[in-house]
Amino acid sequence: MKQMLGQIFRSGRFRLGFGIFAAIVLTVLIYPLVINDPPLEIVSRGTFLAPGIYVSVYDSVTASTRYTLIIDEAAARRIGSRLTADDRAAMQEWLVGTEIVEEGELNLDDTAALLELWHSSFDPAVRIPGMTNADRNYYIRLTASLDGLLATEGAIVAAPNATTGELEEQGVIEQTDYVNLSEVPNFRVLPLGTDNFGRDVLTELVSATGVSLIIGLVAGIVATTIGLILGLVSGYVGGVVDDIIVFITNLFTVIPSFVLLILISFSIGQEQRGAFTVAVVIGLTSWVWTARAVRAQVISLRNRDHVSLSKLSGHSIAYILAMDILPYIASYVVMALILQISSGILAEAGLSILGLGPRTTEVPTLGLMMNWALIYQAHIFGKWWAYFPVILVIALISFSLNLMNTGLDRVFNPTLRE
Amino acid sequence: MKSTRLVLLVVALVAMLAVTFAPSVAQDTTLPRNETLYFNGQQWGAVVGWNPYSNSNNNALAIAQQDNARVIMFETPYLYNMLDGQVYPLLADGPYSWNDARTELTFRIKPAAHWSDGTPVTAEDVAYTWATHVTYNTPTGAGNIDYIENIVAVDEATVTIYAKLDDAGAAVNPLLVQAYVSTNYVVQKAWTQILEERAGGDAVALLADTAEDVVWSGPYHGYFWDESKVIYVRDDSYWGQDASMWGRLPVPRYLAHNIFQDNAAGTTALQAGEVDVSQQFNSNVQDLWLTQGLPISTYLPEAPYGIGASLPTAFFNLTGSSYGLDNLAVRRAIAIAVDYPTIIANAMTNQSATFDQVPRSLMNPTAGEQALYDHAAVADLQWSGNDIEGANAILDEAGIVDTDGDGWRELDGQKLSYVATCPNGWSDWQAAIEVVAAAGADIGIEITTNYPEWAVYQTVVTRSDTPLPEGYDIFMMWSDGAGPTQPWSRIRKLMSSEFIGMSSNWNGNWGGYANPEADAIIQAIPTVTDEAQLVEMYTELVRIYLTDIPSFTLMYRPQSFHTVNESVWTNFPFDGDGTNPPVPPLDLTDGWSIAGLYNLELVNP
Repeated sequence: MKQMLGQIFRSGRFRLGFGIFAAIVLTVLIYPLVINDPPLEIVSRGTFLAPGIYVSVYDSVTASTRYTLIIDEAAARRIGSRLTADDRAAMQEWLVGTEIVEEGELNLDDTAALLELWHSSFDPAVRIPGMTNADRNYYIRLTASLDGLLATEGAIVAAPNATTGELEEQGVIEQTDYVNLSEVPNFRVLPLGTDNFGRDVLTELVSATGVSLIIGLVAGIVATTIGLILGLVSGYVGGVVDDIIVFITNLFTVIPSFVLLILISFSIGQEQRGAFTVAVVIGLTSWVWTARAVRAQVISLRNRDHVSLSKLSGHSIAYILAMDILPYIASYVVMALILQISSGILAEAGLSILGLGPRTTEVPTLGLMMNWALIYQAHIFGKWWAYFPVILVIALISFSLNLMNTGLDRVFNPTLRE
Repeated sequence: MKSTRLVLLVVALVAMLAVTFAPSVAQDTTLPRNETLYFNGQQWGAVVGWNPYSNSNNNALAIAQQDNARVIMFETPYLYNMLDGQVYPLLADGPYSWNDARTELTFRIKPAAHWSDGTPVTAEDVAYTWATHVTYNTPTGAGNIDYIENIVAVDEATVTIYAKLDDAGAAVNPLLVQAYVSTNYVVQKAWTQILEERAGGDAVALLADTAEDVVWSGPYHGYFWDESKVIYVRDDSYWGQDASMWGRLPVPRYLAHNIFQDNAAGTTALQAGEVDVSQQFNSNVQDLWLTQGLPISTYLPEAPYGIGASLPTAFFNLTGSSYGLDNLAVRRAIAIAVDYPTIIANAMTNQSATFDQVPRSLMNPTAGEQALYDHAAVADLQWSGNDIEGANAILDEAGIVDTDGDGWRELDGQKLSYVATCPNGWSDWQAAIEVVAAAGADIGIEITTNYPEWAVYQTVVTRSDTPLPEGYDIFMMWSDGAGPTQPWSRIRKLMSSEFIGMSSNWNGNWGGYANPEADAIIQAIPTVTDEAQLVEMYTELVRIYLTDIPSFTLMYRPQSFHTVNESVWTNFPFDGDGTNPPVPPLDLTDGWSIAGLYNLELVNP
């Protein structure tokens, strides 16, 4: 056994695949110990918050210590973030269109003059030929965002007086004031932002990966068990039993298993479709190839001398199958199991994207995350964090399992053995 | 063998010919972009027919007899405007008038109005349309026969509608009688007779007729339609260019609707400028202009982007099969604990007014309806949600506490556990129901979610003659949008007990709420004309509704989503566009919003 493991781990492909897979499994196990937020908790009011660190504005304003930093470009950066070159060009377009200034008369780099002219002349009611309502809305938004852009004094923080209701000054925030992030009590790191429900994508993704792995494992075990038993019996017993099993197997081979999966999932109905049920259904529809391959191997084994000897010794069929045949095909079965796990995870994702996956509220799965990202058009609106990490995880899991499989193949398959 | 070969040869030849000629057919339908207004979100699948009597034409852009009737091809006497709640004459000449007893409604037909075959639209056409609806028991006939006795042509141009009278000699429901004139098309008598002859008096055949020879009075008619698109072309002899109506023709020569596979395809086309007017839910629609910088806009520049008209609502099962929901404290606690701001921000991506902006009542957010109840009188009954403390206090006070320490409250020793549900695949509703369920955990009431397929869901929910089965404790359904009978009709469908016992109830009150006091007010309102009295009655209904909480509104939803891309066309309706009467954001086809078609301009003429 030890020697065999040594052999397996000598394969570079297996090591790489095993490394990736182990890293994924370890993340799934360790992440919840460090960050124990419930995976389905709604943290944002608003959908698809971009990845980043979210700092409480209130807590920053009321932070006990404020520091003064002298940063030369601060003002320029502040202005640049609210008034881009495109904005300046658009302002010029409007001013020229309304014949307030001549083309080329305006110095766009003179922010103060530009703003003064803009504030004194912009009127949202003025209609320029070719100007759309979208343009008009843009100018109104721009005008609002330019308010106080060049101010050098600080912003006043005020709160209503509890008894009179009048605003009372609480303090002034200077433009040079900074807070140390470690002193702000409330901030939330959202490395992968939030999804359409306002859930933390990373936390959800880790949890979903765990569930999907379990679904894959359950589906793989179910499929492999069925395939193995049918293959063993069919191959060894032969005769009518073999005919019947081959008939059933052929029947399942010609029906595309994914179509079968869709039909079964649909007929089960949402209410019954927990993650476990879906896993079992996937397993029930994907045992065919395992059964065929095992049967073929058993047929080649059943007339070997040691099997005949065992038969002569009066051992039962179950004993012979378990002790004399299974060990010879064990390596194949393990490899088939690995592939079944991988295809089980993919099948769940495929089903969920069609809206036939596990019901939504209980647990997240990789497929469900993809499904909801699609429904809320994340792919059209460029919210990559809602679906791309999911695709990446699915790809990594299936890549690592396939690598492990080919690694094993190199060790166990005599024709490939180095 | 030889004959088989011959057949094969012929088939191959036909196929080749088809391939050769197909492009020329397609070329015919390539429209000049500067004369075509493209839509999306209305037509799914190929057009079936053009029969204004039937409601199974699958001809969404041309045929929809509803509160805001779609009038590009067939026309109603009046047009409803959801923004000011008024009706404006279309085929009719001037406002309609009631007799003093409010039993007879009279209006005249515009002298200029004529059919596409050049013959004038007459009072007889209106009368005969109604007679046909009744004779063949069409959906329109069946829906109005309880309220309308008869429609009669008094002379060439004058129409009188006689209301059905109750025992006391008053109209059963004058509100529904006057709604008829802005909801239902006028169809030509001469063509109807041709249709009747073809159908041989058989109602099924009459409704199934595809009516490609139909005569219309509106500005557009069918030009080309197949599985991929439908195109309507302007009728340049349209009567509405007469000074007595619009004074000109609508601007686009063609109205076209490509048939998209799904919303995502529609959004992509909108982004690309291949769609001008989009009637579909685009999540985070503001990203289209804020982050993508596209020339796309909505009726309002900021959230909620549109005008809310209907009130998607969660109903409590009061039919007796949900343990504990007959207890007001339980209903109230759940209703006030739900985090509505999150539903609106996440499920609707802010495309709904919040309950802080428009406090909950039975009214939609339009100014007309909001003016119909006394806000101050019910202010202390309205809740804006997320009130976990308040909900827990209500339950504690009612003695509904967790006695066995399992974290869930019990009522008389039995754990409170509910299933919240809506149809599977109705994504914004599902997202909303998830938030409702989350509130349960905060107040110690177990709420799980479940999403049956629509086919199952609708059969269960609309069966009002038996208690609802397990799994339908809190369930979502719609309510009426904006229309000439609103808010009365919406309130009736939310609260009236008249629907209990129906084996197929497509009206409302699916939760089985019964309150005789509310029933009496609902029955009385249609005959009341005094504004002050109406306000008083509506306020009382709001008070009852917010006190008894038979259901609770989760969001406001626009009548139609209305997002426009101004790459080609501009001057679409927007809030404050200066139109008078204001053109509502209903995709330029429904009710008074068709006025918007006459205001369009090219961005680059």
